[in-house]
Amino acid sequence: MRRLSAAVTTLLGLLCLGAAAVAFTTGPLPLGHLDAAVPLLRLDLGLDPLAAPFLGLLGVLAIAVGLGERRQEYGWPLAAFVAAMACVLTARSVAAFVLAWEAMALASLLLVAAHVELRTVRRAAFAYVIVSQAGALTILAALMLLAAHAGDASFAALARAAHDQGGAWRDVAIALALFGFGSKAGLFPLHFWLPRAHPVAPAPASALLSGAMLAIALYGIVLLCFVLAAPVAPVWGVVLVAVGAVSAVGGILYAAVDDDLKRLLAFSSIEHVGIVTIGIGAAILFTRSQPPLAATLLGAALFHAVNHGLFKSALFLGAGRIAKREGTVDLNQLGGLARGLPWTSSAMLVAILGIAALPPLNGFASEWLLLRGLADGLTVGDATARTSALAAIVALVLAGGLALACFAKVCGIALFGAARHGAGASGAPERFDAGSGALAGLAALCIAIGAFPQLVLAPLAQLGAQLIGVAPPDVAAARIPAVALLPLAGGALALVLARVRGVRFAPTWSCGSLPGAAAQYSATAFSKPLRRIFAFVLLPQVEKRVDAGPSPWFPRAIRYRTTTTHVLDRTIRWIGARVLLLSRLGRRVQSRSLRLYLAYAAIVLVVVVAVAR
Amino acid sequence: MILVQTLLLVALAPLLHGAMRQLRARLAGRPGPPAVQPYRDLARLWTKQAVLPERASWLALCAPGVALGVALTLAAAVPLFAAPPGALDVVALALVLGLGRWVLAVAALDMRSGFTAMAASREMSLSALTEPALLIALLGARVAGAPPLIPHGNVSIAAALALFAFVVVTLAETARVPIDNQETHYELTMIHEGQVLEYGGWQLAMLQLAAQVRQLAFLAIAAGLLAPNLPIALAGIVVLSVLITLIENAFARLRLFEIPQLLTTAIVLAVASVGVRIG
Repeated sequence: MRRLSAAVTTLLGLLCLGAAAVAFTTGPLPLGHLDAAVPLLRLDLGLDPLAAPFLGLLGVLAIAVGLGERRQEYGWPLAAFVAAMACVLTARSVAAFVLAWEAMALASLLLVAAHVELRTVRRAAFAYVIVSQAGALTILAALMLLAAHAGDASFAALARAAHDQGGAWRDVAIALALFGFGSKAGLFPLHFWLPRAHPVAPAPASALLSGAMLAIALYGIVLLCFVLAAPVAPVWGVVLVAVGAVSAVGGILYAAVDDDLKRLLAFSSIEHVGIVTIGIGAAILFTRSQPPLAATLLGAALFHAVNHGLFKSALFLGAGRIAKREGTVDLNQLGGLARGLPWTSSAMLVAILGIAALPPLNGFASEWLLLRGLADGLTVGDATARTSALAAIVALVLAGGLALACFAKVCGIALFGAARHGAGASGAPERFDAGSGALAGLAALCIAIGAFPQLVLAPLAQLGAQLIGVAPPDVAAARIPAVALLPLAGGALALVLARVRGVRFAPTWSCGSLPGAAAQYSATAFSKPLRRIFAFVLLPQVEKRVDAGPSPWFPRAIRYRTTTTHVLDRTIRWIGARVLLLSRLGRRVQSRSLRLYLAYAAIVLVVVVAVAR
Repeated sequence: MILVQTLLLVALAPLLHGAMRQLRARLAGRPGPPAVQPYRDLARLWTKQAVLPERASWLALCAPGVALGVALTLAAAVPLFAAPPGALDVVALALVLGLGRWVLAVAALDMRSGFTAMAASREMSLSALTEPALLIALLGARVAGAPPLIPHGNVSIAAALALFAFVVVTLAETARVPIDNQETHYELTMIHEGQVLEYGGWQLAMLQLAAQVRQLAFLAIAAGLLAPNLPIALAGIVVLSVLITLIENAFARLRLFEIPQLLTTAIVLAVASVGVRIG
């Protein structure tokens, strides 16, 4: 049965890839529709070029998960999750979209709550349910509002109506929908559930949650801003740039000081969602004054969303394999994995180079393009757009610098150095199997896209141009200049020299003491300067307990623990407590008496009839 | 032309380093090593065998070469004699610099030594602030259509702000007082030099040459910010080297957690400089 579910997931992935290819080549293609008695409830399915890159990404990730984890415990929820995400991407009417969205939320909840016996998992799942349902409700309200003005519920009708008749209702709908999509994407200030919920799922599920579902939430934002409610007012561009900037910097800041590998990756997802959102917001700002620039920016944002899906899911799958072998993903207990897990750590090294936007990987290509577009935007457009571009650049480079520090930690502490604990050094090195094959495939895609970015970028830039309504921009310049490959050549040369001239290996100098694994720098120590520099945001708290023993000069044990306070948590908890109080009050009307419930129904009916007349 | 420029920068970088060290010694009343000493050091190190900690990985073997490659990329990209090659703009340049920094930090963590790891931690934490200042200052200079920084001998406000930011960045990137100290021999106070503590022999020669080329390239970029034509830019390199040596002699090294304030100031001034130009 488990093998069957993995096969279904793989098959769904292949279908998604095929659908993406068809959508790219033929353009919009209706797949089928189901009429309902009420026109608002009609169900339309179809392919669309905008959904194509996301379908392609989903396909690749589903294949990697299906092939790589053939004996997984949560196979059927995973397959259902992939199917629901594919439905979201092919939904072409309001009811179909909302139904698929809810199915996706439900399937992902099953995965988040996989280890429901743990208290932390229950709390994470609870927070996820609440945010997810609130978001789904606002998306429903927004789409209904748009549909009510369009008089029809197909996406084509919505787009036509929004384009022809503007009004305040459109802005209300945008605000509601952005709340919904933003909460699913983990954008500040609706991000708090993400670093709790994503890491507690099984690794393949985390990979799909961060790699594919966040991309689908971003698809929702693009769909809203460039199709369903287009043209949107520039102020929404400013909002998106601001929210994206805070998410990008804040997300990576928390990631840089976190020691739990999976939670660190979840925080870094917030950063990348923020980066893509910055791109979308900037594209909105430049749509009117500089349409070609807006098309480039939108293309770069979509490109980054795809890239993030690839390297983030590779890292989550890798974290899963680390957890399986070492029994932990705590960076302070990992080390020297490059020896015990050569395949996994090589693939993770590639993904890390990609996520830190280092040349010549795919993350470099998309962030470079985005930054270059924003820099071009500094001198054109109106004052609002230029100022937003400057703010976006500052946020992007700050996030970039922190990302370098964060992933130097992950790489240097976990993958290199000496093993601290567990089977890292002992035990036979892993052999090449399906799981490491899937990882290697994802890493190879990262390298290929980094080497030939225009292959993926050209269709995406064309898509951006199509959404904005200009000729496709020239993306030939996106290739990495040959000079930037000098560092790689230098590295290869150094390896050759080391082989030819020989290198002598001697013990590490550590002031006369024996350099043991315990004397190595820990992840917590590595991020200490960042915790101090950004103490005004991170609010670090140190807890130090000294067990003095007989003499204060030779303590028996010292326990040192440091935690960071998450700024919004107290506010969220306050709101949560109020909501629970309200619902407790609301429970009083539930008397479990059938007659009373029938009376409620009758009252509602009377009110509805009265209002409708 | 790019090749000639790169070779020229590589050939002259040790001389500049030696001259700055000589000047610094003279100002402090010491005779100091001659200006050509770095060439001798490089030649001596190049003939020696490399020694690395036991079980150091392939990444540690690669790192000196990557660092040298990054320095060469930078030297090729300086708009001094030749226009920068093709699409290599300031953004790509900053990311390539990031690659060099990242590889050195990971190699330092791979050494299993507390000293190198601590230096790596400090280097990466501080460079999280240096990189924004660098990129924004350079972007400010690049902003298309903006007037050159010194149009007709008058220094504009934007130019002064960008130049201040860039000088701070140069101090940080070339590991100089008040941010770092190249000449100390106390492991706990080193940042950049601390990272490469475990390297020796020809690998150390590569790393030292890389640091010297990077230093000259940074000064050339700063001089290029000042003036678009070659003679003034060359004079600018000399003026800036003297200025940096004077700063090194006049100030004490900042305490570690005071450095972020200086770097943040540089970021704010760089942003202000761009703001003035686009505003």
